[in-house]
Amino acid sequence: MEPSLKEFSLETMAAAVIGAETPVGRAAAVALGEAGAKVLLASQEPGTEKQLKEAAKAVGTSGAKTAIRVQDATLRGDLSATADLAVKELGGLNILVNALDAPFFGPANAADDAAFERVMEGNLKTVWMACQEAGRVMLQRGGGVIVNITSVVAERGVPNASLYCAAKAGVLNLTRALALEWARKNIRVNAIQTGWLDEPNSPAVRKDEFSERLLKYLPDNRLIKPEDLAGPLLYLVSPAAGFVTGESIAVDGGLLCRV
Amino acid sequence: MILEKLRLEGKVAIITGSGRGLGRAMAVRFAQAGADVVAAARTRKQLDETAEAVRATGRRCLVVPTDVTRSEQVNAMAEATVKEFGRIDILVNNAGGGEESLGKRIEEITDAEWRRGIDTNLSSQFYACRAVLPQMARQNRGKIINVASGYGLRGGKHNYMYACSKGGVIQLTRSVALTYAQNNIQTNCIVPGIFPHNEEMMRFFKGGKFIPIGRPGDDAEIAPLAIFLASELSNHMNGELVVIDGGGLAGGVTPTGVVPQMQS
Repeated sequence: MEPSLKEFSLETMAAAVIGAETPVGRAAAVALGEAGAKVLLASQEPGTEKQLKEAAKAVGTSGAKTAIRVQDATLRGDLSATADLAVKELGGLNILVNALDAPFFGPANAADDAAFERVMEGNLKTVWMACQEAGRVMLQRGGGVIVNITSVVAERGVPNASLYCAAKAGVLNLTRALALEWARKNIRVNAIQTGWLDEPNSPAVRKDEFSERLLKYLPDNRLIKPEDLAGPLLYLVSPAAGFVTGESIAVDGGLLCRV
Repeated sequence: MILEKLRLEGKVAIITGSGRGLGRAMAVRFAQAGADVVAAARTRKQLDETAEAVRATGRRCLVVPTDVTRSEQVNAMAEATVKEFGRIDILVNNAGGGEESLGKRIEEITDAEWRRGIDTNLSSQFYACRAVLPQMARQNRGKIINVASGYGLRGGKHNYMYACSKGGVIQLTRSVALTYAQNNIQTNCIVPGIFPHNEEMMRFFKGGKFIPIGRPGDDAEIAPLAIFLASELSNHMNGELVVIDGGGLAGGVTPTGVVPQMQS
C-alpha cells in the first residue's frame, strides 16, 4: 500500500459497532470492514436479529461477528459482555463506534417521564455505558479509539425535539469530557454529527410539509445517507487522526454554517 | 474499496505556502496520492525544491512564484493553473504567518504590522477563493481547504492580528461553503492547535505540556487530514472545521493535569 494511504488502514484492528442494526450502524460496520478491521456488530434491541444478520453479511467474510442483547439481560450486563466478547472473538478492542439512535419528536408538554427515560437511554445512556465498558477494556489493553455518532441537533435547538436535542447534546459533551479524561491513556474519543438522515426512521423522509421545506433549506438540497459518514468515520478511527481527540465532525452538507 | 477513495489520481491541486514546512509536506503527500501540484509561494528557490520532491513521485508540478498578499499575483496563479492543466480541482490555502507576532504588546504593534498580518493570513485566502471559484463552479466540482488555527476560535493573551485573521478564515470558510454548496464545491477548514515549527516556538509553548494529549502536533500529522478533505470521502462535509489539537479545544475551563473532586 502506498505511504499516503497506509495510515488510514485498519488492518489488524478489532472494532465493535453498537447499534449495528440501524442503517448508520450497518454503514459504519461495512466501512470499518472494508478498511481492514475485524468487526463485532452489536444490537441492544431484542428482535433485530434479521437486520443485524443482514448487516453482518454486508460486512462480508472478513470475520464479522454479531451479538444481540437477550431479553432478560440488563443494558449494563449486555454492554459489558459485548466489550469482553470483542476481545474473545476478535482478539482485542481497538475501535468502538456508537451508532445507535432513538429519534423522538413531539411537544415538550406532551412527553411524560417514561419518554424522558426512553429517549435518554436510547441516545445517551447506552453511549455512556458502552464508552465505560469499552474504556475498561481499552485501558487494560493499552488504548483505543471511540467515535460516538450524534447529530447536528446536539448544538442547535429544534422545536418538537427538546428531549432528542438534550440527549444528542449529552453525547457530544460526553465525548469531549471522556477525550480529556483519557487523553494521556492513549484513548481518543471523537464524535460525528449527522445532518438530517435519509433513513426510514428519519422525520426528513416523511411525506409532509416539514420534509418538503427542509430539503429546500439544506445548503445542497440533499439528505445525508448513512454511507456518507463512512469517510469521516474512517479518518477519525484511523492512525491518520492520531492528534485528533475531543473533536466532532459534522457531516451535514454545510447546514451548521447557516444562521 | 474505501481506502482507494482517498486517492487523488489525476487531480490538480494548488497549494499556497508550499515552499517549505507544512505546505511542502502537503504537496509531496498529494503527489503521492496521485495529484498534480501547483506550488505557489514567494521564493522560487524553495519552490524548485518542492517541485523536485513532487516530480520524484512521478507527478507534474507547476511552480508559480506568488506573493499571496497581492491579488493580481493570486489571479495569475489561478490563470497559470488553468492554462497548464485545464482545471482546478483542489485549492489548499495554507500560506500564512505572523506567529512571531504572538506575545507582542498591543501598543507595540504598528499599523503596517497589523495590515501585513491580516493581508497575509486572511486577505490571501479571500483572494485565492475569489480567483478559483468561477473555474470550480464551471467544472461543477471543487474542494477548498483553508488552514486556520485554534486561535481562530479562542482568544490568546497578546494575540490580536493572528486571532482575528484566523477567525476571519473560519467565517470565510462558512460563507463560501454555503454559497457554493449547490455547485458541488466543498469548502472546509483545518484548525490546528499547537504545531511548533522551531525550537523557539517549542519553548514559547512550553513543549506542549498543557495540551491534553501531552505533546504538541507535528506538521506530518496535518497532511493526512488535508488528503481526506481533498478526497471524495469528505464529499458531504461542507463548511466544517476539523480541529486537530490533541484535545485542547474540547476543554479549556480547567487547567490541564488537575481534576475537580467532590466536596467531602
